[in-house]
Amino acid sequence: MAALWAAGEPLSPAQLQAALDAGLAYNTVQTILVRLHDKGLLERRPAGRGRGHVYWPARDAATAAAQQMRAVLDGPTDRQAVLRRFTDDLAEDDLATLRALLRQEPPA
Amino acid sequence: MTVAVYLPLLLPALLAVAARALAAAAAPERTARALAAAAALAATVSTGSLALLALTLLDDLPALEAREHAAAYPLPEPVPGVVALAAATALVWVGRRCVAHLRQARAVTRDLLAAGVPHDGLLVADLPEPHAVAVPAGAGRAGHVLVTAGLLRLLDRTERAAVLAHEHAHLRHRHHRTVAFATAAAAANPLLRPVSRIVALLVERSADETAAAAVGDRHVVARAIAKVALAGGGRRLAGGLAAGGSDVVRRVHALTRPAAGRFRAAGRFRAAMAASAAVVAVCVAAGGAAAADFVAVARAWL
Repeated sequence: MAALWAAGEPLSPAQLQAALDAGLAYNTVQTILVRLHDKGLLERRPAGRGRGHVYWPARDAATAAAQQMRAVLDGPTDRQAVLRRFTDDLAEDDLATLRALLRQEPPA
Repeated sequence: MTVAVYLPLLLPALLAVAARALAAAAAPERTARALAAAAALAATVSTGSLALLALTLLDDLPALEAREHAAAYPLPEPVPGVVALAAATALVWVGRRCVAHLRQARAVTRDLLAAGVPHDGLLVADLPEPHAVAVPAGAGRAGHVLVTAGLLRLLDRTERAAVLAHEHAHLRHRHHRTVAFATAAAAANPLLRPVSRIVALLVERSADETAAAAVGDRHVVARAIAKVALAGGGRRLAGGLAAGGSDVVRRVHALTRPAAGRFRAAGRFRAAMAASAAVVAVCVAAGGAAAADFVAVARAWL
């Protein structure tokens, strides 16, 4: 699911298999995609000329989740303080430090 | 009543000093738990002290006043009335703050649980900003990770894996509980606020280390943190924070520092741990002495 969201465009099972790079067999990826589609988590359309389907995440659940998350993020400051985000409370001075670090790092 | 009753109110300041040395501890998970437990214990004893002081107000009850006048010898004076009144006020204030904080934490968890049903422990919110939060178990559901589409698009495959491993570590170690204990302690005694901030940093460090072990590369985790932070994954504070930078910078530094430097300071951490334990032990002993004191005075009166 995360890989499909990251792609931002419909992927075929083969493309997803390449993006995951997790040593999953083509058939396994295919089975997972069909199962997620059956659950309504993915949408799909034929890729054309007998090439199977391409898949992308269904928006409904993610849009609902987005509205709810937005409400928490924009909520009162004391509520935001309770929220434990992946990164939090960055001072303006730190931006330069972090940029320098990203420059040092070899590109991903 | 002797000075013992006041010690648990003030000693947490020393715990805060000892905790500051533990912010960069090499074993963040263990240290976070130990500090949270120490803070909770210190806060409990400190609240007990407030309760003892507040209870001395009872000597102004008409029945006890009459007893004082009828006594053949002068009864021991517990504490000045002003002090007792101040303690009672503080006790009410502490209670209200703790309840308010608990309510807030519950409301946020409830709102996050209402965001939707996760699949395989993951729920994606279609927002452009990069955010990831661990939503603890609740409402009969196991904990899950709530992540935005913006974060997934921002990061590459291994960085995504690192963020998910980080958030899953929060869930597996029940970090929300560790943090809740420390925050409640800080609500009960404001002198413990620095301790609760350090506990919050340590649980992030613990989750970072788990993520680094999961993806097999510390630099990937550091890069993910830096990318998300720069792309606006947190609140921006104007100006600088305390020396050492914000938690985000400390986490990145801890992940990119060479391994040799990470373990050199182990002796200092052990000393700081011992100091913290000693402070808590003195708090508990003073609290016990104060309680014994209180019982002795009460016996004399009744």
